[in-house]
Amino acid sequence: MFQIIFHRGKCIGCNGCVEAAPDRWRISRKDGRCNLIEGKEKKGIYRALISIEEYAQNFQAANNCPVRIIQIARI
Amino acid sequence: MLDNIEKMNYNNIEILAPVGSYESLTTALNAGCNSVYFGVEQLNMRSRSSTNFTLDDLRVISRTCNDRNIKTYLTINTILYDHDIGLMKTIVNQAKDSGITAIIASDHAVMSYCKSIAMPLHISTQANVTNIETVEFYAAFANVMVLSRELSLRQVAEISRAIERKQIKGPSGELVKLEIFAHGALCMAISGKCYLSLHSNNASANRGACIQNCRKQYIVTDKEDGVELEIDNEYIMSAKDLCTIGFLDKILKSGVNILKIEGRGRSPDYVDTVVRCYKEAVTALQEERYTQERIENWEKQLATVYNRGFWDGYYLGRKMGEWNDSYGSKATEKKIFIARGIKYFDKIEVGEFRVESHSLKKGDKIMVTGPTTGVLKAELGEIRVNDVTVESVSKGDVFSIKMDEIIRPSSKLYKIVSE
Repeated sequence: MFQIIFHRGKCIGCNGCVEAAPDRWRISRKDGRCNLIEGKEKKGIYRALISIEEYAQNFQAANNCPVRIIQIARI
Repeated sequence: MLDNIEKMNYNNIEILAPVGSYESLTTALNAGCNSVYFGVEQLNMRSRSSTNFTLDDLRVISRTCNDRNIKTYLTINTILYDHDIGLMKTIVNQAKDSGITAIIASDHAVMSYCKSIAMPLHISTQANVTNIETVEFYAAFANVMVLSRELSLRQVAEISRAIERKQIKGPSGELVKLEIFAHGALCMAISGKCYLSLHSNNASANRGACIQNCRKQYIVTDKEDGVELEIDNEYIMSAKDLCTIGFLDKILKSGVNILKIEGRGRSPDYVDTVVRCYKEAVTALQEERYTQERIENWEKQLATVYNRGFWDGYYLGRKMGEWNDSYGSKATEKKIFIARGIKYFDKIEVGEFRVESHSLKKGDKIMVTGPTTGVLKAELGEIRVNDVTVESVSKGDVFSIKMDEIIRPSSKLYKIVSE
């Protein structure tokens, strides 16, 4: 399993993660920042567990992020 | 007649200061700017580098500035995607409700929305206004146009005269006003048309996330034989910073109304020094005291804060830019963080600080910054620790010094050192 860690407050809404992993990321029409689908929030940081099948797409999403606020950790 | 026009113009000049934090806002107001510009949330050209305000700050900024008769311009000047439209409208609505003077925009969606709710608009330099037909086109939406930074003053003056001749008026019913960049960083590309950062780091400059590839040094490799050429130790893509204080008379005679100072990502002391110098220079022009000696003094002061070396931009007709020979700032002074404020004793006008790094001694040049303080500069007089006068203090010491202005726990004290 892997965990996505997302510092949403610094998101600039560039859409880069959505392009790479559209099933996991969606831009909020309310504030223009990205939402981590099924992410749980604690102190402004969102986390979600993903399986190996989703890893490649989300690794690309993390790489696409211009402000480097997406991390993926093996757990 | 011409003299009258020139003098009239000298009197209506607006100095527009960059504001990336409450520290810079207070500083800009104290330094004597006529207007400020800033961004909220992420739809502005400093979404990465500046702290940026939030929607909730709009009312505070507007109230603070309105009290002092200072105009407030809010930047929403990135390129926008469909998913940004909701946020853009929320920001514009809130700006209107909060009494912000105008929006600065480059995307047509923002222009169209501002027009639909009668929110005053300025056209950003990102829109590259370079000719009178474009001015005429945008006049349907905006009262002020920030001209492209790559124009010469001759071209600026021609646009200005044509506005007068053709009586091009904005939605306010007044003649369109022109704004130009007077001081600060320049882009290696035509503003808003650089893709370097996006290519290398997927970080679009046009979404305010520029990683500034152009400021670095590069080696060219011959693909045939692999020979690497270092290009004459020059930072060939890193333009020097713009400084117009030496020919401000020519700038004002070209018919511009607003002088924009670049640097929302810069520190409060940069804002303080640059606004003060340009304010003094405009006043000197109004009072016919604009002399070579004064110019040299302003240039010396401007060199003390962040700069990459200065040149006159494209205004005087240069075809090629001037490039840096080193990385980072050439500021002749640097500031070292020393201490944080603890409390202020009103009656005896004494501020108490705790040293968090380095040391401080009597006679040092210091600077105190804070959200409500702005920037204060002084030479350090008597220092006391536990009511005993000491010559110096170092890390961990709690000390007190005489201060005319209130300091708070948010105040930071720096030592200013000449390079």
